[in-house]
Amino acid sequence: MNETKYIGRTARSKEGPRHVTGRGRFADDFVMPGMLHAVILRSPHAHARIVNVDAAAARAAPGVFAVITPAEVQQKSRPFKPGRYAAGLKKPIPEYATAIDKARYVGEPIGALAARSRGAAEDALELIAVEYDPLPAVVDTAAAVRPTAPLLFDELGSNLAWKGSLRYGDIEGAFKQADKIVKEKLKIHRYSSTPLEPLACIASFDAASKKLTVWVNAQVPEVIYDALREALGLEDIRVIIPDIGGGFGQKIHLIRKYVVLVSLLAMESERPVKWIEDRSEHMMAAGHSCAQEFDVEAAVKKDGTVLGLKFTEIDDVGGSVSTLTIHFTNKLNNLSNTYKVKNIYLEGHSVVTNKCPVIPNRGIGKPGMCFIWERIMDRIAAELGLSPVEVRFTNLVQPGEMPYTTPSGNVYDSGDYPGLLKRALEKIEYEKLREEQRRERERGRLLGIGVVIGVEPGGRNASRDMAIFPEMKESPGSGGVNGATIKLEKNGTLTLFLGSPNCGQSHETTTAQVAADILGIEPEQISTSTPFDSDLAPWGVAAANSGNNFHLYDIGAVHGAATKLREKVLALAAHVLNAKTQELTIEGGVVQAAGSPIKKITFADLGKIAYGNQAMMPKGFEAGLQATFYYTFPHGEPNLVPSPEGLVRAQFTFSAGAHVAVVEVERDTGKVHVLRYLIVGDNGAVINPDVVNGQIYGSAAHGISVALGEGFVYNSDGQLLTLTLTDYGKSSTMETPRIEAEHRPAPSPFTVLGQKAAGEGAAIPSPAAIASAVEDALRPLGVKVRELPLSPEAVWKLIEQGKG
Amino acid sequence: MKQSICVKINGRVYEDEVEPRQLLSFFLRETIGLTGTHVGCVIGECGACSVLLDGRLVKSCLLFAVQADKREIVTIEGLADDGRLHPIQEAFVQRYGLQCGYCTPGMVLAAHYLLGRNPDPTEEEIRKALAGNLCMCTGYMQIVDAVKEAAKKVNR
Repeated sequence: MNETKYIGRTARSKEGPRHVTGRGRFADDFVMPGMLHAVILRSPHAHARIVNVDAAAARAAPGVFAVITPAEVQQKSRPFKPGRYAAGLKKPIPEYATAIDKARYVGEPIGALAARSRGAAEDALELIAVEYDPLPAVVDTAAAVRPTAPLLFDELGSNLAWKGSLRYGDIEGAFKQADKIVKEKLKIHRYSSTPLEPLACIASFDAASKKLTVWVNAQVPEVIYDALREALGLEDIRVIIPDIGGGFGQKIHLIRKYVVLVSLLAMESERPVKWIEDRSEHMMAAGHSCAQEFDVEAAVKKDGTVLGLKFTEIDDVGGSVSTLTIHFTNKLNNLSNTYKVKNIYLEGHSVVTNKCPVIPNRGIGKPGMCFIWERIMDRIAAELGLSPVEVRFTNLVQPGEMPYTTPSGNVYDSGDYPGLLKRALEKIEYEKLREEQRRERERGRLLGIGVVIGVEPGGRNASRDMAIFPEMKESPGSGGVNGATIKLEKNGTLTLFLGSPNCGQSHETTTAQVAADILGIEPEQISTSTPFDSDLAPWGVAAANSGNNFHLYDIGAVHGAATKLREKVLALAAHVLNAKTQELTIEGGVVQAAGSPIKKITFADLGKIAYGNQAMMPKGFEAGLQATFYYTFPHGEPNLVPSPEGLVRAQFTFSAGAHVAVVEVERDTGKVHVLRYLIVGDNGAVINPDVVNGQIYGSAAHGISVALGEGFVYNSDGQLLTLTLTDYGKSSTMETPRIEAEHRPAPSPFTVLGQKAAGEGAAIPSPAAIASAVEDALRPLGVKVRELPLSPEAVWKLIEQGKG
Repeated sequence: MKQSICVKINGRVYEDEVEPRQLLSFFLRETIGLTGTHVGCVIGECGACSVLLDGRLVKSCLLFAVQADKREIVTIEGLADDGRLHPIQEAFVQRYGLQCGYCTPGMVLAAHYLLGRNPDPTEEEIRKALAGNLCMCTGYMQIVDAVKEAAKKVNR
């Protein structure tokens, strides 16, 4: 590669201009000739048998073209195959796009209808008569597992749908050698990322050729592709993914149900059908993160060294088995956090309840794992009379130990964790801050400082699951694959075809910067083909706007494709210029031979030759200037597939960040004000600092908002009380603090540019940082923070408890 | 039952028949074809559908199309001049004041409304002015910075 001109610095945003002018193209912006509008029939009950669905009146209503009831869903589609998200399920439970005989959460789809206008569709929906036999709702995990509890799935014989455990090292030995056992019970609530654009889909079916085309704002094309094939038995499927108005995991999994339903309506009506979810539907049925309860024990020496960690997790997975274990299995990804503990035992319990199913959400179980570590570190410090910062320093993996293999088999590629923490303390002026806190406490102010640290894994390895479910007969696939194509056009400009869709992470800008540097051209000369189109794009299992995959697989693929194209460009130019390839340099889209200023040729002239002038091509040269590269991570061994001891690389790159939160608690109201929030982070070699900072700010803001109160609340009947963004408690500009971010990159030795992940980012440690800071603020009252969210009400209760 | 309305949108006059129950946001998107006005909640919480109605910032999901009769609207499509970005739009691009782009039209118009009344706002004033526009991606940092940058440009 030429010396980098574009990698490592900001660039003009490729996506920005279309969005600031209202020219972004989102699914709802597309209109097809004859298009119908769909609405979904949903259960008003948390738990009910579906006795009868009578849609005759709706079918006869004006403008109605198609109605789908559970009977038709069963007749016209097949259940989804239990994917790896359902791993651990003891008995197969068929799951269709709608409930069939029983509704298990408020908002669960029961049917769907398509009419000429949205208004007509909504009017007709009222005419469908559903006879329900309501059953008692199961809304909390403790009640759910009592022997007398009503069962969600009779087939399972219990609401405890899965239980399993893993152990690494000698956990009994660690607890025997300990000076002290520190115990705590912790809890994280249900929340989501509430993307501003709700779920959206258009389906169009050509009955003559049996080709189904869907335009959908899904994050992972493969999920949609597989779902449609499995459910509808079709082979010719085209998935088009236009601009996505935010994803965060919310648009990966459950969205498949709606794509199948809308496709059934399109097939039935022989018309294109559009479905746009509304906000309350999104809140009740588009998926929540999992409420997790943890019972944690740490075996520690007097100096704070952690010898072992044990935890039991209870996951409230809601009313579906299709994502039974994802919040537990993801614990393997950051199981050790930044610490060098050798002995770990983890035990998971997945409990089904009459709530919205859980789905992936920015980090899935990883914020929970970081919460376990960082809460227990504070508890260890308090019980041993040590400083919380000191306890962390004592246990950090040292930079000299990199690459570091964790007890579960993860290989941390690079990182200076003590350096991150040290710099964060310096920058926040920790000692001075503690002084100020002492002074202000005397005056009655409740000021708190929370210091935490966390890793942020990136990359993908589904075979991780085999460590947790040794009974798995079939591998869910190991590692990841994603492709990219780059094409030099006849006019010398370049077009990129990326394998994954973009939810706002500036994929077009970042990949253009990388390709520009490799090919010696300005990023302005490179455009990306949008929308994502499965008929055109090279893509693989890691073509996923999820799992922190972009930095590894998309960048790897674009890097590979651009490198291949560069070789072709040089081969052709060398022939035309009668020079050796090693004498050639490329700058500004011009290939120049050493020694003579006139021995040069532009990309445009090369394009003309490659696409139209056979005589000027070297012998054996494949005409055209286009290259495709599929990337897999070349350093996936050892433990790409779990060893007999369950050692496995759960992910492949490890970013990290030290977070400091400074908060003030209002004594009378329990309201928490974040006075400062600082992150010193290592996201490896940064390709575009503005893009990476955007990911850091956004993910931190979300984690802080989650910690301070945003979340879903159900009543005892299983009715969701937080159907709007206001009730849910989403933070606006007024509640969101300024985030200060500094980079201390430790480039990954394993990736093409030293890059690491940045998407899930600060959403992983930030809930723990806020919990730590609020507990510190309330220290004069002697109360402990064990649960999120720390809404004003919850904090006020803690204050009252402290007074009492 | 349809009613006739006459609305000036981005400088062009439209005469249309609308159903009384049609919301202004859907009128703009579906009847006029200006899809830059986004819909995120339909109950006035998110601000994605913000437009300028007679120069004032409104949430178009909280108005019926008939309420715009004989009035003037500016949508996000009306800010750029012949493909040349308005300084506020340019600042949002330069400072990465957006990620997914869904809240962006509303944010840009909210910033436009603020800077029209207060050309040199403090951070607090910017945050207050944007408090009715939710963004789930950015944590608002680069949006606020873009508005500061835009204020400099507009004042120049």
